[in-house]
Amino acid sequence: MRKSTLNRKALIQYVSLVLPGFIIFTIGLIIPIILAFFYSLTSWNGMTAEKPFVGMENYVKFFKDPYVRDAWVFTLKFTIYNTIIQNVFALLFAVALDSSIRLKKIYRTVIFMPCLISALVVGFIWLRMYSNILPALNKLLGTNINFLLFGDGKTVLTGLLIANNWQWIGYWMLIYLAALQSIPSELYESASIDGASPFRKFINVTVPMLAPAFTICIVGITTGSLKVYELMVSSTGGGPGRASTSIIYHIYNTAISGRQYGYGSAMSIMLVLILLLVAMIQVVFLKKREVQL
Amino acid sequence: MKNRVLMASGKEKYTVGTLITQIFMTIVSILFFIPIIMVINYSFKTKKELYLSNPLALPESFYFENYITAYKKLDLSTTFLNTLIYTAISVVILALLCGASAWAIARCKHKFFKFSYVYFLVGILIPYQALFLPIYIIGFRLGLTNSRLGIILMYIATGVSFGVFLMTSFMSTVPVELEESSRIDGCSIYRTYFSIVMPLLKPAIATLVIMQSFQIWNDYLMANLFVSKKSLKTLTVAMQALFSQRTTDYTTALAAIVISVLPIVILFMSLQKYFVKGMTVGAIKG
Repeated sequence: MRKSTLNRKALIQYVSLVLPGFIIFTIGLIIPIILAFFYSLTSWNGMTAEKPFVGMENYVKFFKDPYVRDAWVFTLKFTIYNTIIQNVFALLFAVALDSSIRLKKIYRTVIFMPCLISALVVGFIWLRMYSNILPALNKLLGTNINFLLFGDGKTVLTGLLIANNWQWIGYWMLIYLAALQSIPSELYESASIDGASPFRKFINVTVPMLAPAFTICIVGITTGSLKVYELMVSSTGGGPGRASTSIIYHIYNTAISGRQYGYGSAMSIMLVLILLLVAMIQVVFLKKREVQL
Repeated sequence: MKNRVLMASGKEKYTVGTLITQIFMTIVSILFFIPIIMVINYSFKTKKELYLSNPLALPESFYFENYITAYKKLDLSTTFLNTLIYTAISVVILALLCGASAWAIARCKHKFFKFSYVYFLVGILIPYQALFLPIYIIGFRLGLTNSRLGIILMYIATGVSFGVFLMTSFMSTVPVELEESSRIDGCSIYRTYFSIVMPLLKPAIATLVIMQSFQIWNDYLMANLFVSKKSLKTLTVAMQALFSQRTTDYTTALAAIVISVLPIVILFMSLQKYFVKGMTVGAIKG
């Protein structure tokens, strides 16, 4: 029935609905990838007309550059901790909000609210929390806790993780919450009849039913953390030293401030490849689990 | 869903476990709320209070001077309007483009549409932040930096893949029968889309509007790259200038934060109902 109505004219009209987005997307996102690849083979400084071709030199440099390595180590640590912490707490809070407690709406709104704030602002808020507001607690309680987390290379990651998790836990919590609420209650009832304990119900009913939400949250948090940049702009500035320079931060410094567009492009291409790889591995792995369950 | 609601109202038992959960969530919420309270609290403090009084105390009176200084320093009338224009126009165009694309993709089995869907998905796997440099270069070479049109096109290009993905997952909620009868009545594809399909997509559009609005409103990386002219600057870029002044007077900056966050909170509050439903569609369907 549909096939027969889909004549040529209709097809062209359908295509015309997709085309504008398709073209803007191509120019704005796909061509830049191709362009970046070409620039990555040159030593272009972003200003001159000629772009000296240097072959794979930038990529060789990429793998030897200790600054690049440090930026990746920081970004990967940030990503791994984030993925674990955010998933655990988001799920924990979602389960708590799915119980029969009161005031759910207030809790939900309060925990979700920070994700509406710009990461730039979140960084600044926590800079002030650590350096001005929390130290006042010491005076009040007579304790001597060091709250200046952004001041030391050893604690800066912890400080940023707290800020980032404060911002994003609520967002993923909402996704888990909706997934929890869509689990048919019959499944729990039949598990109860079979004499399952609450813990067994959680492992054998809830967790498998949450598989699609796990996929969304894990992939979302990982790719989101790998591209962290704005959080540091107004809080640590990539420091102290280079202790919190993420990979995007480093690309920005190299290309925009350091005028090495060719090398910066090579870094962008590597980031794109790694993001693509991570997302694909996760999607394939997690989807396989979804099917098995 | 309905079953669940009935069940929830049936199991209002309040056990010891529930009480522990309640206490736990109360503590968590208070911890989450402290930074927000502090921002609001400090935005009303005078400079004198900042140095002399207990840092955790409430301000002695509502001192609006910080807000007036923030208004001037942010050049608020310009930056606010700029941000509003970029956000509103980008979001409206995104809603139109993505809705139409997603509908065509969902309804046509032709290869082109299958390809388009996968093609758009590339943009979800590669966040545009990773490509900020080449996007900036292409914008620059096309003469689109320092122009309103350029910024808007850039936000559309970087938002289109998420929009199409979101809208496509909503399409199963639109019954095909209605469209078919409208087509049999002789309506064109365009008319069918605008008069039959689009009204049914309201929740999806609301979701898209919120998700993209707060991303564009809060964007710093691209806005900072694309704009150097003072008259085109956005609120976030102006805020960064305020933050980076290494002064001890941060009450102005905190007042600026309150001003910048307010519009997005109001938007969220007014569309919350759709949003919570909408953002989770993907999570449930996978």
